[in-house]
Amino acid sequence: MSKPLLQRNTRYLLLWLPVVLLGCTLLFFFLMRMQAHHMQQEQLFLKQENIWNAFKSKSGNIDNHISGEYDIIQSANNGSIEFNEPRDTVIYYPDKQKSLPFKILTSELHWNNKTYQVTTYVSSTEIKHLIIKVFLGEALLFVLLLVAIVILNRRSSRLLWKPFFSTMKKVNEYDITRTQSLTLQSKTGTTEFDELNTVITNLINKVKAAYFNQKQFVENASHEIQTPLSIIRSKLELLINQPHLTEKNASLLGDITDATNRLSQMNKTLLLLSKIENNQFPETEAVNISKMVERILNNLTIYYDNFPQVESEIQENLILNANHSLAEILISNIIKNAIEHNQSNGKIIIHLSPSHLLIKNTGPSLQTNAELLFERFRKDSHQTKTTGLGLALVKQICTLYNYLVTYKYHDGWHQIEIVFQQQTA
Amino acid sequence: MKLLVIEDEPSLLQSIMEYFIQIDFLCEGVTTYSNAIQKIDDYTYDCIILDINLPDGSGFELLKYLREYKKDEGVVIISARNSLDDKITGLNFGADDYVTKPFHLSELNARIKALIRRKYAHGSNILEAGNLQMDLAARTVTCENQILALTKNEFNLLLFLVNNKNRVVSKQAIAEHIYGDETDNMPSFDFVYSHIKNLKRKLKEKGCEDIVQTVYGLGYKLAI
Repeated sequence: MSKPLLQRNTRYLLLWLPVVLLGCTLLFFFLMRMQAHHMQQEQLFLKQENIWNAFKSKSGNIDNHISGEYDIIQSANNGSIEFNEPRDTVIYYPDKQKSLPFKILTSELHWNNKTYQVTTYVSSTEIKHLIIKVFLGEALLFVLLLVAIVILNRRSSRLLWKPFFSTMKKVNEYDITRTQSLTLQSKTGTTEFDELNTVITNLINKVKAAYFNQKQFVENASHEIQTPLSIIRSKLELLINQPHLTEKNASLLGDITDATNRLSQMNKTLLLLSKIENNQFPETEAVNISKMVERILNNLTIYYDNFPQVESEIQENLILNANHSLAEILISNIIKNAIEHNQSNGKIIIHLSPSHLLIKNTGPSLQTNAELLFERFRKDSHQTKTTGLGLALVKQICTLYNYLVTYKYHDGWHQIEIVFQQQTA
Repeated sequence: MKLLVIEDEPSLLQSIMEYFIQIDFLCEGVTTYSNAIQKIDDYTYDCIILDINLPDGSGFELLKYLREYKKDEGVVIISARNSLDDKITGLNFGADDYVTKPFHLSELNARIKALIRRKYAHGSNILEAGNLQMDLAARTVTCENQILALTKNEFNLLLFLVNNKNRVVSKQAIAEHIYGDETDNMPSFDFVYSHIKNLKRKLKEKGCEDIVQTVYGLGYKLAI
């Protein structure tokens, strides 16, 4: 599962930074304690030196014992004490009614051929308190540091990734079918993003060139095909006017004429498709779509002997802002489609409301994938005479005007719905 | 009637000329801009068929040249470009009509006939073919002095056949002539058949029997 980079980064920091900081804290604690012990040892030796000097200068006439400060005992080594190593002990203070911890150090010293054991005392309480306080302070600092790092990281990431998100937004909004150009920031201040923008710009330019070439090809091909088609058509017209035409020849000519006609239709439609793609129908006007639907329906009844039964519910005087000929092509194509793909004694239902146009017709279910229906040259296997471009044209016009066109098949009914989005007046 | 055909594709030029020679036009054909200018300078024509894309110049330039020198030949443009802009440019430059490739010769003929009638008939709107009389202004047809009650489409169909009399006109040409772009992406032209059937019936009722003939499955012919 992928998560935003910022979140992942924060998560990573939150997972590992405390571990590192905890490790550092522990290390710091041990180092400080070691230092404190070393300091205590130094203190103990210094104290011992001072006392011993005082003892020697006063020829032993000082107090041999001051609680919590020092002990001087004349004795031989009994081996139970380790000399010159600090040890822990506690001294009971009756007035405070508690035992306090001390560090002590015992050394064997010689004076006037006598052996003395000199023990010096240093209180551990203060140093322990100091260690705890410093440790707590340090822990607090580390927590603050953690928070600060996370916040700074998030802030800086957000700032640093800004060009990336701006690029992404632009690329996302880029539509190659509309002939706009994509301009990405060339100086973002970050080398990687500069490179990214350059790479994307180059890629888009290549794609644009390929797309343009393809479009150009279709358009050029359609243009170029028109002349040979004209020649074929004209020769056919001369041929059918030849005297002594036999029935066999006439039937052959009829087939050629039909095929030429289909080719011409296809060519015309392809040219129209590329023109719509190239935005060559810029002029729009208020089109009374209700009247248009009714007129087209009426006109089409002339063409078909077994015209399906029509049930229509058309809201009057609906106005769409569109190119008149494109609107006409759009509507006549879906209605023709509903007639062509109907069954004998079939039905057509037409609903027109301000938000949508719904055309349903009876007919056998599709043999091909419904999703491909709006693509060029897609047609159901049993239809051989149509060009397979009618619905592609519908789709192209819908795309141009941001209408949503969908196809459904349910219970023996084909249904094509066009949703006009905020286009109705 | 004298006709100049300017078309750079020799094969198409030859077809057009053959078609119009068959219906008794005097035809001359050129394939280049410079030859066309020469012809226009030297002779006068009733009508010019002009292709826009010529190897050594544009048909629009030729139109300009024609109109600058006050030649008022009727001009029908034939062009591979089916764009509204070209149509408007052509008509602005003084063309009288515009046909898009691939066109039917019968359609081109009908346009030329209509153009010649507009330009040279001087008020006469009556078209006669055999014992048929078509009043183009009133849009009425009489056969043996009896008025035929024709629908708008039937009238246009008959006019198209009369303009192409004694020629076989294909179903496709009829469909496109009468219904124009509405026939786009139509898989069959059976509706032409029912129109013809109705027209034949109405003609028969008024005694103009058998002038519209069916030529196998190809098309129809008005035989006078």
